[in-house]
Parts: sequence; structure tokens; C-alpha cells
Amino acid sequence: MSQKQQDLLETGRLEYLQALVTEFQVTESPDAKEQVLANLANFAYDPKNYEYLRQLQVLDLFLDMLTEDNETLVEFAIGGLCNLCLDKINKDYILEADGVAPVINCLSSSNEETVMSAVTTLMYLTTPQSRQQTTALPVVECMLRFSLSANRRLSNLARVFLEDYCSPDQVEEARNLSKHTAVGIPLPKD
Amino acid sequence: MAAPGDGAVGSVCKHHAQQGVCDSRAKYREGRRPRAVKVYTVNLESRYLLIQGVPALGVMKELVEQFALYGAIEEYNALDEYPAEQFMEVYLIKFQKLQSARIAKRKLDERSFFGSLLHVCYAPEFETVQETREKLQDRRKYIAKATSNRVNFVAKMIQEPNKTVSKNSECDFKPETSGFSAAHANSGNWDPSGRCPSSYKPSCNFSSVNRVCPSGDHFWSGLAFPQYVSNYAETSEYFNQSTSLSESVQQGGHTHTPVSLVRQRKAPSDNGIGRFMPRTTQLQERKRKRDQGNRLAFIGMDSDSTEVIIGPQLPEMPKVDMDDDSLNTSASLIRTKLKEVVVSAPKTSGEKPKDSQAKPLIKQRRRI
Repeated sequence: MSQKQQDLLETGRLEYLQALVTEFQVTESPDAKEQVLANLANFAYDPKNYEYLRQLQVLDLFLDMLTEDNETLVEFAIGGLCNLCLDKINKDYILEADGVAPVINCLSSSNEETVMSAVTTLMYLTTPQSRQQTTALPVVECMLRFSLSANRRLSNLARVFLEDYCSPDQVEEARNLSKHTAVGIPLPKD
Repeated sequence: MAAPGDGAVGSVCKHHAQQGVCDSRAKYREGRRPRAVKVYTVNLESRYLLIQGVPALGVMKELVEQFALYGAIEEYNALDEYPAEQFMEVYLIKFQKLQSARIAKRKLDERSFFGSLLHVCYAPEFETVQETREKLQDRRKYIAKATSNRVNFVAKMIQEPNKTVSKNSECDFKPETSGFSAAHANSGNWDPSGRCPSSYKPSCNFSSVNRVCPSGDHFWSGLAFPQYVSNYAETSEYFNQSTSLSESVQQGGHTHTPVSLVRQRKAPSDNGIGRFMPRTTQLQERKRKRDQGNRLAFIGMDSDSTEVIIGPQLPEMPKVDMDDDSLNTSASLIRTKLKEVVVSAPKTSGEKPKDSQAKPLIKQRRRI
């Protein structure tokens, strides 16, 4: 084990994450910001980190980044949310912070990963209470279009969304609606 | 195979392209391996792996064998239509379990294979809708299980703030794994029933290694045991701990061989007691015994007058009874091997100081 890793062992997980958050907040470099956000989003994959990430208010950090202009930051932030939103506490937190709306906005991104993460996040955020919001008509309409996409990953995901999270009535309603309004949100670039 | 004729499938996807390595990372964020800046989500993972950079030498069998080391393969085939460099082939391998695909990707990406570097990436676009659905559900189940375990674990920590437990949670921290590969280890057991026994396995292997090892450092098994018991829920921690511990055992076995052999001759039956001693006491005890052993070795002068060197005698290989036939056999095998090595090696190189324990002996000889 190298000295560096040894040091990190001693620093501890919370301190390390704290260092990341601090760097994210103080850095002037856009590159460093992206790298740190990617780090945090990857840490959000592992349930062991959830407690620390909540303590450091990383959930708010991710939610804030969803409205950034920098597409990479949005991609990483929604990836982070997608990674941690299955946890009950995190889910409740995001729902209470009105996180669904900015996630739905991500559906119209031109970045493929952003859209993928947003669809999955919406699925994972769906509860009996939030269902109305996460499967609102425009969302279902959007999923219908995605399900026809040539991008297999996206069409698979959209089909799971339509089949598992929406009622047949909802899908039917959206289908009728999209017949009339042919123009929609552009599909993400491949 | 998921409908290979489908338009999108088999065509190049953006996420297959290898991104440039990030070279502007701050020092503390650098990992063991150079990596691109990328966020992994459940959407990017898959049981399907796409392998690029396979030389067109008819080595599919060898390739599949390599990958099969990491888990059961459900399907594999060459992707003839996938764009590849000249004399290169692209293969698709579908593992039975996502976890196998994860490990295989980590181990074999950028690995040299018949003179070429493999590029391994997940290929979720080959999934069927059902496979995508199952993948998402597996993640849901895993998080539900992990977070409920976490709650239990925290509760247990509060109940008995055991030294080993708190130490453990610090130790398992891995830096650049970015949580992702920490999760790799963590999610090793998707099968809930398989969790408990397999997490005990490392501890079993471990103590057997320990006993076969001629140094017989019971100290390690003493350290490892309570940890394994105290939080069987945290699989990944076993993973880290057991690997690092068994490494140190091997190391310890190596470097301390002469010394601990002496020790074991004198106290062959401290098996059970050593296990329950606190770590600091054991370290002190070990040091005391080591010192004693060295002293004994110094006293034992070479009585053979024909020998030119009149330094202190190296401790003789003791005949230890390890209370078990197979263990005794292993021990004697190791013993003869050690003897062979010592005899065959030229004196000068054999006497090179290998560790701090050997040093005083050698110095003594040189002076005379």
C-alpha cells in the first residue's frame, strides 16, 4: 500500500468527501469542478457513503447543478442523483426539495447520458405520493417518443418506464395528445 | 443475443469510445490508475461486455477463457459488422451476473492480449427491455438491502462501540475507487441467501493460510476473527480487509521466518490463548519472544572448529508438531524447500540482510 493511500485511510471517508465538497465550492477551475462533481457522483453509487453525503449536503449540491449551463456539470449531477435516489431517506429529501421538476427538465437535454439518468431517476423517485408528478402527461409523452428512438438504451429505458410506471390509460392519453401535436422536444444527440 | 439485426445495435455508440485520460487531477484525487472523468450509473452498466482490440488470429477460445475466469458466461459471439481496425476483431460477451461483468471489465480493460491492448466496455444497448428492467430492479433490491443493513450496522455500533468495529469502518476506506468500485466489492453478493456464508469464507481461508504458514502468527487470526463476526453485513469490508490481511500474513510469514520458528518451538500450544489477546499485548509478547529468540541464537556458538566463521549460529530449523498430519506435511515441505534455498544460494547473497531481524546476525559475522 502506498503512502498516499495510507494517508487517505487515516484521513477517513468523511474528511475526504468534505475535502471534495470544499474544493468544489472554492475552485476557480472549471475542469476541477467537473472532476470533483464526477467524483462525488461516483461516490453516490455506494450506499456506504449516503450518510456522509447527506451530512455534507451533497444532495443539494447535485440539485443546484441541474440548472447549470455547463452540460457536463448537469450530466454529472443528474448521474449522482440517479445513483443515490433509491435510498429512502435520499428519495424523501429530493421529493421534499421539489427535485422532480429540474429532473424532468433534464429530459430535454441533448446529452444522452443526462437523459438516461433523468429517466431512471424519475422511475426511482416514483412513489404513490409523487406518482402524479413523475408521470405527468408531458413526461409520458416524452417517454413515448423516446421509446421509438433508434438508440436502444434509451428506447429500452423508456419502455420500462411506460410499462412499469404508467397506467395504460396514461399512455393512451399521451398517445392521443402527441397525435395532435407532432412537434416535440428534440431527441438527444447520439 | 438481442436481435443483432436491429438498426442501433452493432453500430458504434458514443459510450464505447475511449475517453482521454484526465491529467489535471489534484494530487489527493488521483487514483491508482489513470482514468477519464466519467460518472457511472446503473444505465451504463451491463452484463454485456464489448471487447475491442482482439487480434484476428482465431483466438476467440482464449479470449472467452480469459473472461470466464471472472464468472459464468451466458453467451458470446464475434461482432463482424462492428467497425474495427484492420486485423482486429470485436467480440460481445454476456455474463450471467452483472458482478462478473464488472470484475472482468476492471481486470481485463487495457490488458494486453496476444500483442494487442483490449478495450473492454459495457454494452447495455444489447440488452432486451426485460434485461434492462431486471437490471434496474436488481439495483433497487440491492440498495434496499444495503441501506437496511447499514441501519442495523449503525445501530450495532451504537450499542457496543467496539474498538475493532470503529477501526474497521475507517480501514475499509478506499480512495479513488470513487465509491464505484467500492460498490463493486460491496455488491458481490446479489443473492441474499449467499451473503452470509460467502462472507465468512475469507476468514476461514485466512486462518488455514495462517496455520500452514511456518511462522504461525496467531496474532493475525486473532485480529481478523472478531472483525468478521462483528459486521457480517459489510461484505466489502471483508473484501478489503481479508486481502490486505492475508497479504500481510504472507509477508509476515516471509520476513519473520527464522524468528518465529524459534518462538514456535518454545510455545507451540499458545494457539487458543493468542487469539483472544488484545493487539497491543500480542505485539509486545511477540517482540519479547523475538528478543528472547535472538538472544538464544547469539548464545549458541558454532562448536565445529573446522568452520572458518565463528559468528552466532542461525537458529536451527525446528521440528514442530502442528497437531495435524496434513499441516505437518506442509510444514516439512516448506522446511525442506527453505533448506534447499539456503544451501543452494551462494553465501554472500544468502547473507544479504533481508529484514531488520536478520541484520544483527550478519553484522556479527562480518566483524569476525
